[in-house]
Amino acid sequence: MEFNKIKNAVNSIEMSETMKNRIKENCNVIEKEKPMQFNIKRWTAVTCAFAILLSLIIGIPFINKNGELQVAFAITAYALSDDDHQLNANLSTEKATFELSTEDRMDGGLVSVSGGGANLIFTNVMLNITGEDIDSITYTLSTGKFVEDVTLTAQERANKDWLISEKINFITSEPGSDISQGIKEIGNSYTVNYDEQDKYQYTLAIPHDGNNVIVEDVIIKVNVKYTDGNNEQQDIVVTQESNLISLKLK
Amino acid sequence: MGKLVAQAELDIERVIDRYGSMLFRICLVILCNEKDAEDVVQDTFIIYLTTSPTFHDQEHEKAWLITVATNRCKNLRRFNFIRKHMDISELQLYCNDVENLSVLDDLMKLPYKHKTVLLLYYVEGYKVDEIAKILNVTASAVKKRLQRGREIVRHTYRKEKIIDGI
Repeated sequence: MEFNKIKNAVNSIEMSETMKNRIKENCNVIEKEKPMQFNIKRWTAVTCAFAILLSLIIGIPFINKNGELQVAFAITAYALSDDDHQLNANLSTEKATFELSTEDRMDGGLVSVSGGGANLIFTNVMLNITGEDIDSITYTLSTGKFVEDVTLTAQERANKDWLISEKINFITSEPGSDISQGIKEIGNSYTVNYDEQDKYQYTLAIPHDGNNVIVEDVIIKVNVKYTDGNNEQQDIVVTQESNLISLKLK
Repeated sequence: MGKLVAQAELDIERVIDRYGSMLFRICLVILCNEKDAEDVVQDTFIIYLTTSPTFHDQEHEKAWLITVATNRCKNLRRFNFIRKHMDISELQLYCNDVENLSVLDDLMKLPYKHKTVLLLYYVEGYKVDEIAKILNVTASAVKKRLQRGREIVRHTYRKEKIIDGI
């Protein structure tokens, strides 16, 4: 008995073309109905997986440690110490604490040009923004004012009207010197171009209750305008701890 | 979506062209009934369509189709064992090898488990361990079925020769 005969015999069986076409037609009918049946499951799973992946890729860099959406720029608070070293703190990752500079200014013989004026706590704290495609930054202080330390000649110092017109409300008297320091009021808000931040050395001056304690937490709103016209905002909370002032992101 | 459906139609037609006759042969020999064989082949391709399995290669795809088809045949025989078997005159409609028609008839008269392993071994060329995987049985069971299947076929063949006076 040659079993190859089995192979030849079986292989000679052919499915008729009519039967084959019938099977194809039936399969094509099933195929057309199929998408509505199980694509829902498959595509739901695929879409969910894709959405999760996408949100992880896109979302994680913009969520801060508190689980809130994080802006695409970084804020650095900095101040010059007594020995002219710069103290930096990246507010995105840490709370920044600086000594107040009120006493230093008072010791320098700070006087009010107009003879009056609100009681202010002075700081040496300045802010700087880093990020990509930023056009300009606008800072707005909820309470208090931004001020700038300016250098005055003896002539300028003597011209009270000019000082008032320039909003230089406080000056320091330096006996025996022709050069004086003044504190110029900028206002509670200012806008600076991203590339010109170094030119604007504005610090914070915050009203106090008469005992050198600020009345309430101060908010600095930092609004960043990008070159594509979009805006992002981040708030900074300013609090006082004894002779220190702290800044942290809200 | 229209393009996707058209692509899928082409795919299933390709699969039917490639494996349709092979599955039909196996099913026809196992079930000995044309309509049942067609039903099983049809069901096998529908399962292929609806489950959309993934395969390593064409051999894997072929083995998967044979497994599904033989399982369907087994189930159909279990619930439909009184179905009329095809006689040799009907078989001529499908088998072009008239010389070996009687061998084919002998094979079809074998019990399900014996003819299935003989088909896979001699016709499809699978090895014992591959048949074991396809039928989900042990290799020794495949060997025993092969041996027993051969014995029955030989015995029947001899008997026919004696009857025919050869």
